[in-house]
Amino acid sequence: MIVNESVLSLGISLLALFIAGLLATRINQSLTAVFIVVGMILQNFFPVTIITEFIATLGIIFMLFMFGLEFSVGSLVNNQRKIFFSGIYDLIFNFPLGLLIGWLLGYDLIQSLLLAGIIYVTSSVIVAKSIIDLKRSANPETEYILNVLIFEDMFIATFLAFIVGISNYGQIDAKGIFIVILKTSAFFAFFIVLAKTSKKFVNKIIDIEHTELFVILILSIIVISAGAASYVGLSEAIGAFLAGLLLSETKQRHRISEAIKPFQQFSTAIFFVAFGMSIDYKHIGGMIPVGIFIFIISSFSKVYGGYFIGGKYALSKRAGLRLGLSLIPRGEFSIILAGAISMNSSVPYPIKSLTGVYVLLSAIIGSIVMKESDWFIKWFIERKDTEFKQTKKPLQGQLL
Amino acid sequence: MSEIKECDLPGIGKKFTLELDSGDKLVVVIHFSGEREVFKFMKGSDEPGSVTTLSDEEARQIGSILSGTYFQPVLEDEQKLMMKNVTMEWIKITDDSTLANKKIEELNIRKMTGASITTIIRGETVIPNPRAGEIIKPHDTIIIIGNNDQINKFISTFEIKQRIENDRQ
Repeated sequence: MIVNESVLSLGISLLALFIAGLLATRINQSLTAVFIVVGMILQNFFPVTIITEFIATLGIIFMLFMFGLEFSVGSLVNNQRKIFFSGIYDLIFNFPLGLLIGWLLGYDLIQSLLLAGIIYVTSSVIVAKSIIDLKRSANPETEYILNVLIFEDMFIATFLAFIVGISNYGQIDAKGIFIVILKTSAFFAFFIVLAKTSKKFVNKIIDIEHTELFVILILSIIVISAGAASYVGLSEAIGAFLAGLLLSETKQRHRISEAIKPFQQFSTAIFFVAFGMSIDYKHIGGMIPVGIFIFIISSFSKVYGGYFIGGKYALSKRAGLRLGLSLIPRGEFSIILAGAISMNSSVPYPIKSLTGVYVLLSAIIGSIVMKESDWFIKWFIERKDTEFKQTKKPLQGQLL
Repeated sequence: MSEIKECDLPGIGKKFTLELDSGDKLVVVIHFSGEREVFKFMKGSDEPGSVTTLSDEEARQIGSILSGTYFQPVLEDEQKLMMKNVTMEWIKITDDSTLANKKIEELNIRKMTGASITTIIRGETVIPNPRAGEIIKPHDTIIIIGNNDQINKFISTFEIKQRIENDRQ
């Protein structure tokens, strides 16, 4: 009976996702935010079942796998200087802020680090989609936005491995950090060496014409990589990510993407719903003011950081501001991070609920800000210009 | 003339920027999906003045028009100048041609086939409306005019093998 009920609830969840998603695309809202809201509503009707939880786990794995698969190592190598510097500025402006907020909220060091990651990482899914939809792909600031995103995603993938490793170890001390870094680098090194040395071998193994066997083989590679990472005390997600990177260099890349995409879309949607369902209404009231506070502070730092990067690369004020205003939405990675560590319940501000509020705010408002950035920029620049004139006038008078 | 600037857009595709002599900028973004977007940026502006989205196929068509390699398929296939019922045909005279080294009047072309020679092209010189006494030489190109029947008759009567496929400029 339990199985039947959970299958039915899964079906209802999917139908609700479809209807909500349809409405969301009408008003150009991000699906991520809508799926979380659906989850929050559905928790009133049925609990998170084992099936949903299992699919949600697969959702993280597939998401990271696809991310690795579609990751362009080529453009990373070609633009490494630009990516590195814009990424570092963005990191300096936004990562320590989260640590500080975590400390203010009374989190311990691991939790504060986690919060820093959650606040730091912009959603590349939402932003990239908005850029395409708003026809901004040719704008001068766009390449810098994408460079920041690519850096953030790389950073967070590594950070995820580290933070889960540290959390599994239990505490932050020199020995723990050493062990976790050793494990993480060994794991990364294994895949990088495999990708570099056995390209032909990997190509040969996955060159299978039979469609069904092909899918099964690819799935086994993904799940084994994820499982192995989990087995050595790292995050499953990082294993899947590295498997994706490994296979992204093969000739079958496109076919793999086609084959796995439906699994990924399905399980990722369920992952967002499950996350929404796990947000506790009891906490949410108290989380909203904190969430709004963090949202405002971190939006300012993101916009200012973006504007700063624009200035460094000689973009116009307008383009620089658009750069900053495009970095507000948070999404998939923040949620993955929030769910990555199970925390004890004595924490004053439960990180899952807080992240829920924060991601919803920033995904929804961030998308709107991106779309409506023009009038803000106009207002901002006109104000600056009048200020500029006012301060400039007496000076000119003196010179004359 | 200015160079084309190339730039990766990770996750989206590739961007090509061409600064025009007028100071405007033309930007082409090729998406990974195959879709092309063409943006025009006015001089000094960093927001596009216009955007056009093209599918892969449309982009190729536009591309061939811009590069000047696009022809109407009818012209390309037949490579003949079609006027209502009249056809002009370019014919290369070979060494062993029955036409070679003969005066036009000797050949009785008009009488035997109905077609007539309008032009002789000899190297760099062009002889329009050649006189009856003109001698056709090997390696000449002649242009004859007539309806389809007359042209075909000309070709069979004088055993022409080498018709010129659109060498006329």
